[in-house]
Parts: sequence; C-alpha cells; structure tokens
Amino acid sequence: MSTSAELLAVAIVLTNLALLGSSRMGGLVRAMVVQGLAIGAFPVVAWAAGVSAWAVPFGLFAGAIKGLVFPWVLMRTLRRTGVSREVEPFVSCGMSLVIGLVAFGVAVWMGSRFSLDGMAYPTRLIVPVALFTAFVGLFLIVSRRKALTQAMGYLVFENGIYLFGVALVGELPFLVEFGILLDAYVALFVMGIATYQINREFHHIDTDRLSRLKG
Amino acid sequence: MDGAPLLIALLAVPFVAAVASLLVPSPRGVLALLFATGLAVAGLAGLAAWTVADHGPIFAAGSWLFLDALSAYNLLVLVVVYLSSTAYAFRYFADEHEAESWTRRVARQFGGLWAGALGAMVAVLLSNNLGILWVGIEATTVLTAFLICLHVTSVSLEAMWKYLLICSVGVGLAFMGTLLVAKSAVPLALDPAKTLLWTTLRDHADQLDPATARAGFLFLLVGYGTKAGLAPMHSWLPDAHSQAPAPVSALFSGFMLNAALYCLMRYLPIVEGACGHSGWAQGLMVTFGLVSILVAAAFILFQQDVKRLLAYSSVEHLGIVTLGLGLGGLGTFAALFHTANHSLAKTLAFFSAGRLGQSHGTHEISVLRGTLRSHPVWGAGLLGGLLALIGVAPFAPFMSELLVARAAVQTGSTWTLVLFLAGLGAVFVGALRYALGMAWGRAEREPLPERHNALDVVLVVVPLVTLLILGLWMPAPLEAALNQAALVIGGTR
Repeated sequence: MSTSAELLAVAIVLTNLALLGSSRMGGLVRAMVVQGLAIGAFPVVAWAAGVSAWAVPFGLFAGAIKGLVFPWVLMRTLRRTGVSREVEPFVSCGMSLVIGLVAFGVAVWMGSRFSLDGMAYPTRLIVPVALFTAFVGLFLIVSRRKALTQAMGYLVFENGIYLFGVALVGELPFLVEFGILLDAYVALFVMGIATYQINREFHHIDTDRLSRLKG
Repeated sequence: MDGAPLLIALLAVPFVAAVASLLVPSPRGVLALLFATGLAVAGLAGLAAWTVADHGPIFAAGSWLFLDALSAYNLLVLVVVYLSSTAYAFRYFADEHEAESWTRRVARQFGGLWAGALGAMVAVLLSNNLGILWVGIEATTVLTAFLICLHVTSVSLEAMWKYLLICSVGVGLAFMGTLLVAKSAVPLALDPAKTLLWTTLRDHADQLDPATARAGFLFLLVGYGTKAGLAPMHSWLPDAHSQAPAPVSALFSGFMLNAALYCLMRYLPIVEGACGHSGWAQGLMVTFGLVSILVAAAFILFQQDVKRLLAYSSVEHLGIVTLGLGLGGLGTFAALFHTANHSLAKTLAFFSAGRLGQSHGTHEISVLRGTLRSHPVWGAGLLGGLLALIGVAPFAPFMSELLVARAAVQTGSTWTLVLFLAGLGAVFVGALRYALGMAWGRAEREPLPERHNALDVVLVVVPLVTLLILGLWMPAPLEAALNQAALVIGGTR
C-alpha cells in the first residue's frame, strides 16, 4: 500500500521537474493535469490504508477540480491569447531544473526534521514533496514573464499547500475544503480574465513590461 | 435573547444583494440597492453588537459563526466605512455618468463585487472557524481585484495583476500558518470538526505544541501581513490604492487592511498562550509595526501623487496598530481605538482626494494647489483628513498615537519609543508640507469649479466633527467596548 503512495509522491516530483524544464505552454498544462490528478489520488490511496472513508469523495472532488477544471480554464485562456511558449524566462529552463533539484534536497532535509506524530498518511515523502511543490510554484511566479505562466505558478503553489494540509491535519471539514477549492477556482478565473484583458490592452502578456507604477 | 438568526442574516444579506445587483436595470438603482444593503447590515450589526454587549458572545451554525466583543467592534467600524463609501459612490460616479464611463455594465459589475466584498469581510468577522476565516480573506482578494480596474487602463491592469498575485501568494502562506497551528493541536486529539475553531484553540492554548505554533505564527504574520500592507510586504498597496476608483480605495484602506490585521488579532492570544505568554509573538508584532512605520515615513517624504501618499500613510497607520498590539495592555486598547480613527480619517481623505482629482483631471500633488479656495468643501476635507492622519491635536488619531507611546513607556522599551516617535515625526513634517501646499498654494491652471450638494457637505463634516469629538472626549460605551475587545486579544493573562 505505502508503495502506491510513494509512487504518487514520485509522480508529483516528476511533474514539478517537467514544469521547471518546459517552455511550451501545452506541456505545462499537461504537467498540471497529471499533478492535479495525483494530488487528488493521495487521499484515496490513504483510505485504502485505513484512513476514514470520507477522504475518498474529497480526493476525487479535489482531483477533478485541480486535474481537469483548472487545466481546462488555462487552455481556454491560452487559445484566447494565442500564446504558445514562454520565450526567454528570467531563469533559463536548464538553470531552473538545477535550482529545482537543489530545492528538492532542501525540502527533503526540512521534511526529515518535521515531526510526523499523529499524521494520517502513510509515507514520509509527503511533507518534502508538498514543500517542494510549493517552492516550485513560487519559483515559477518569480522567474517567468508571461502572466499565464505566473497564474500556473500560483496553482502549483496552491497544490503544494493543499498537499501540506492533507499531510498535516488529514481531513479538513468539508466546508473549509470546499471554500479553499472555490477560492482557488475564482482566483484562476480572475487571473484568466485579467490575462485576456492585459493581452487586449498591451498586445502581449509579458508582466515584466508592466512597469509604469513605481515609488 | 438568542442572536443566532442575526448572524445568519448578517452573512446572507450582502450575498443576496450581490446577486440582486446584477439584475437591477439602472446604474443609479445599483447604488441605491448597495446603500440599502448597507443600512440593513448596519441595523443587524447594531442589534447584534448590543446583544453581545449585554449577554456575551453569540454563536450560530454549530459554533462555526460567532460574534464577541472584538468582532462586534470591528463589524461596527466596517459598517461605518461601507455606508460612507457607498454614499460617496453616488457623488463620485455621478460625474462619470456624465462622461459616459459609468455604464450599466460597469455599474452592475461594481454592484456585484462591492456587495460581495462586503459579504466576504463580514464572513471574516463572523467566522469562528480559522479555515473559513482564511477563505473569507482570500475571497476579498479575488472579489476586489476587478474593482481596481473597474475602468480598464494599462496602469490599472498592472496594479490589479500585482495585487492579485502578491496577495494570493501572501494569503497562501497564511494558509500554511493556519495548518501549522492546527497541527500544534494534534496532541490534544480533538474532534476533527472542532480542531480549527478559534474558541477551542483559545481554551486549550496552553496545551498546544509551542514549536509548531510558533512556526505557524511566522507564516501567518507574513501572509496576513501582506494583505494588511505591512512593510516589507506592502509593495502592491500604493499601486492598487492609486489606480482604484476613490470609493474602492476608501474601502480598501478603511477596512480591507483592518480585516487582515483582525486575523492576526485572533491568533495572538492562541500563540502567546502556547508560548506560555513569553511575549515572543508580541515582539514580532512590534518589529513589523516599527518597520512599517519607518518604511512608510521614508516613502512619504518623496511622493508626487496624493493617492499614493495616502496609501503609504495606510502602511504607516497599520504599522501603528500592529505596534500597539505588540506592546499589549494599554497598547492593545490604543491599537483598537486607532483602527477606528484611521478608518474615519482615511476614508475622508480618499473621498476628498478622489473628488479633487476628478475636477483637476489628475492626482498630482503639484497640480492640486490652492484647493481650499477653489473647492471649499473637498479642499477642507483633504486638509482636515491629512491633518488628522499626521497626528495633529486634538484630532482622535493624536490621542490613540499618544496612548501607543504611553504603552511603549510602560513596557520600558526606550528604543521602540524612539523609533516610533522618529517615524511619526518624519511623516508629520513630510506630509504637512504637501497638505499646506494643496490647501493654500497657488494653482497654475484653473480646475473645473466645485459642484457640491448637501451630501458632499455631510460626508466631510460628519467624520471631521466625529474625529474632533473623539479626540477630546471618549464616550463611556465606546471605552467599555474597547476594553472588552482588548480583553479578547489580551487572553486570560
């Protein structure tokens, strides 16, 4: 059983590396699909390991939102803005991968210092993977130019925090969990419309060129 | 009296109004609906606050909703800010209506988001569940983003994107903090449905795992601090405040920042309790408060745009509130008093700056000169608001700042006092220069003449008189309310 949880953890790490190393928007969205589904599967696997059955519908719901609905919104925005690749990110994709590997090492070290008393989930990997995912999200936000890639970074960051929550407190009350997903959905929706408006106003979505407000 | 239905109604009214305002046919009708919503919420809030003062906290929805002295006080401040900003919106958008940029579509968008933002802020104040508290704060972020670029321009989009991204990430960090605080309660083996309840965590604060609770507070301080505009996480704030329409800036500064700080007020007794009241969390609050005051003071000295000036002043004042909370005791009392004073003075200043900006066509400080002569009502509002904000006696902010200084003396922290006074002094000198120039300076070109009606006069005179009265005399009910609210933050110490 715990092997399947570990397989999921490895899948999430690999999607993070794909997000860091890819410059094609289509590739980024595909990585988001896999990551969202893997995160949704975590509670389901844990249920098989004997955690409360309530985790299953939550996991399926979160997986559907993160793995299907979010990427769909992203794809729609992509089509409307006609952007296909992240050209010249501030940190090149190769360098991003190297930084990502270092960050993974740090995340594993931090995770090893974390007390797992009373934790619901059957793998030691989950805390480091959650921290790594949150870091990758933040890194994408600061190192990429396109508004849409930054929005993806925000979603990856959210994924990391969600996983952290799953690891730390097991199940949150339904209403809280629902509220969190709803907020993330609305945030993405707003970011999508904003990207579209930025594109219409400026004819590009390079956020580093939005620099008139200073001081 | 059972107040549970009151809380449910308080939460439901704004969201119903948000949906309803999408169906209203005329732009003026939208504003009328928003104002009626404010009146309804004000009535309910007044009734609820009165019940709390008489009979203690009200609970509803299986203890997920509650109202105690602290949230009741903040709720009343919110109601005042919301009502005055909505009334002001009538005047502000009337001019835009003539310029045909206030269309039915824009009005409906404004209505839905404005009432929705009110609902999210009410949800923050009523929530006993720390998860829902977080959901409410994040909801204010996503709902207010489009209020900043109500009129889509390149700079308003830039400000909105910055706001959305910085605050979403900041508030995400606050969620990690929330989770860590929940983790610190794992040793208690509480019922999972109750783990996140503030009342439960407060009652068991001394049994929480201190190391995890501390780690959680760090994340919470940075996360909610970002949303509250504390330096150095404030970079979104001047952009958003300067680009948003004036009623939105007023609501942002007047209450949205307070709402984020309110979350920290809730966590303070929990984390201090977990650390055995060692003052660790309070020390952090003092540091962040002082840094905010000093950073804001440095930026205020070099401003060219009056709305950016007011935005930095918000960083300063939220810093003062944070400092007061960190000092504890009398400081907590002063901090709560200061939130109301700042909200009143800052909404007045933003109202005036917005109207003056409309008739001058810009918010440049160098253009807005001699406003007292050309615009007697709003010129006086801006001068009065700025004087109150920089702490001129006998306006009420002077009194609350004096109380914060006294709290610093009582705790014996000389350096805190010195830095605090240095920051206030720099702001005083820097902003007074602008205030005098804008009031009496010589204008280079004639602006559009002022067209004011009774509503404009009321919106200027009422806050100014209130600030004067509160500066000279504190009514007994207000003092009692402040004391009770401070007791909630002070914990059982």
